[in-house]
Amino acid sequence: MHLTATCRLLALVMCCAVVQSCASYGRHAVSMRDGLLTGQPQVSLAIAEQKDPQKQDVIASLDKGMLRRMNGDYRGSNEIFEVAKRKLETLYGVSITESLASVTINEKLSDYKGDWYEQLLLHAFMAQNYIDLGSLDAARVEMKQADVKMRELGDEPEDDAWVRYLEGMIYESLGEFDNARISYQKAYTVYREKGGTYYPEVPVTLKKDLLRLLAWQGMWDEYKRLKKEFGMQDYQPYKASDEFGELIVILNNGLAPIRSQTIIPMYSTEVQQSLQIAFPVYKQPKKNLNTPQVVINNNRTYAMDKVEDVDALARYSLQQAMPGITARAMARAVVKYNTQHTANDNSALAGFLMTVANLVTEQADTRSWTTLPQAIQLSRVLLPVGEQEVAIHMKGAGGSTVDVIRETVTISPQRPSFVIRHWTAPVQREAVKPDTTKPVAVKPVAVKSDGVKHDSGKQGG
Amino acid sequence: MSTFSQHTLRVTRNVFVVLLTGLALAACNPTVTRVESDTVTDLSGNWNDTDSRLVAEEMIQDALSRNWLTKYNREQGKAPTVIVGTVRNLSHEHINTRTFIADMERALINSGEVEFVASADERQEVRGEVKDQDLNATDETRKQMGQEVGADFMLQGSINTIVDAVSGEQARFYQVDLTLIELGSNRKVWLGQKKIKKTIEKSGFRL
Repeated sequence: MHLTATCRLLALVMCCAVVQSCASYGRHAVSMRDGLLTGQPQVSLAIAEQKDPQKQDVIASLDKGMLRRMNGDYRGSNEIFEVAKRKLETLYGVSITESLASVTINEKLSDYKGDWYEQLLLHAFMAQNYIDLGSLDAARVEMKQADVKMRELGDEPEDDAWVRYLEGMIYESLGEFDNARISYQKAYTVYREKGGTYYPEVPVTLKKDLLRLLAWQGMWDEYKRLKKEFGMQDYQPYKASDEFGELIVILNNGLAPIRSQTIIPMYSTEVQQSLQIAFPVYKQPKKNLNTPQVVINNNRTYAMDKVEDVDALARYSLQQAMPGITARAMARAVVKYNTQHTANDNSALAGFLMTVANLVTEQADTRSWTTLPQAIQLSRVLLPVGEQEVAIHMKGAGGSTVDVIRETVTISPQRPSFVIRHWTAPVQREAVKPDTTKPVAVKPVAVKSDGVKHDSGKQGG
Repeated sequence: MSTFSQHTLRVTRNVFVVLLTGLALAACNPTVTRVESDTVTDLSGNWNDTDSRLVAEEMIQDALSRNWLTKYNREQGKAPTVIVGTVRNLSHEHINTRTFIADMERALINSGEVEFVASADERQEVRGEVKDQDLNATDETRKQMGQEVGADFMLQGSINTIVDAVSGEQARFYQVDLTLIELGSNRKVWLGQKKIKKTIEKSGFRL
């Protein structure tokens, strides 16, 4: 009798300790992202850095990594991303204690493993960090790690379209055209099969890239077939030359949605009672994003294609997880109801304490990587060699320019230049000086339409 | 509710509480043990110091025993001078190639058979110092610029991996290739190769 009372008390003490850390992740995410949404990313970084000093929590490391990246600290970002990666490696498999906890208390006690697309995007952002630091080889290493994960993820390889596309672009920049073509084909397969649902439709840039690489590799049957399928009969692949090079602009737009909690009564046949169960949901509908446009030298304007819809992926992923969440929640509710009942049989006080503990710990797991962008948009432009002024104009609802991100890029013919930026809100910058430079006319790139065959392994661009 | 399910519930709860307490206590102090630097410690299956040591040993032994060295000695009458170029990491892990390259340099220099000159990264600092001496050091101790020894060979290489993976199991194959290229004629005089294969199995359960 004493033993069970002690055990129950211990359980209650544990619950209280757990409740301390049970502060909803959703609420922390909202306050952390405030800085981003008001154009002060350093504020968000300060909030994020205070959490989890022992670096044990994957989500805290992911948030810190992304915020460091947004503040320009690419090396620091990769350091903390690497910590998250190592922690994720140790979280493989089913944990016995976590399973017990999820059936008796709640699911927030489990270490956060991340959805499959979050794990893959971790590699994508580490690769982008390495690109910004100038080491394409290191970015390639990250993409290879992502490749192993995609092959490993289950019976059928689960590719992420954007990660495959980024992989292709990195291979292409390093001159590995075979690998680039294969990656582009894999990306195309995913966009084609799942476009319009939780992936965007096939981006036009990918179609052009795929056709170009097929032409460079001399794969004419496939080239003609895809040309017809895309309906791009007028397309001509450009030939490499010393006069122009490529600019790749990647914009990480907005922020991923936050999960909130909703409590729903559900009837359990096992205990013949209606039980209160907490579920994670996306309460807010998908936000409208500002449309970005790439403007070169204040002269030519290029649209950007959407290559990844993280918002849609997040909602789809939650929808897929719902049956499991529901089953576990029901089991947990039954266990809690029974413990309440048992405690009540023994003493009213114990029963009351148990009820309180159960109520307080009934919280849904609202964790997700919320500093991911809502969508990722891409543009690839051919420009003459030399210095070019690149600006990303963020257009508001009425078509007016809400914010401009400026960058001076030196285009070289050997490898593409990357401009990778995040945008969540207009950032406090010095007043934009009135433009006094004369707009430099950008020569339209003339592409000879002679359909010359290219040998494989040519040094393109 | 039957006494059997009551009992099971109680047992489950007690087990859980005991486990939690045990875990909490176990996380109190980290334990540190010093081991010999050549002890094999394979923790996660990633590239580690044992791999680097195996590669260095193989490469050193191979480089010193091949024909190129005796041929050069015979033709030129002196030890060859080598400069270290880039060892490209084409693998799927962030591998520090400096560890086994440094081992190689040390063993080859100490053997007396091969000389090394500072690589492109290292000589930036050295040249800066020599330039500074031009301005600041005395005439006797000043070193002149333009007195560097030109290398005869360049050492380049790459690390490649092939990974085969299903859920929970991985087979990793590493291949490290090092090449000595004769500067001027661009002939490849020596190719060293080391292959390492590992299988990693992850348990489906953890505590």
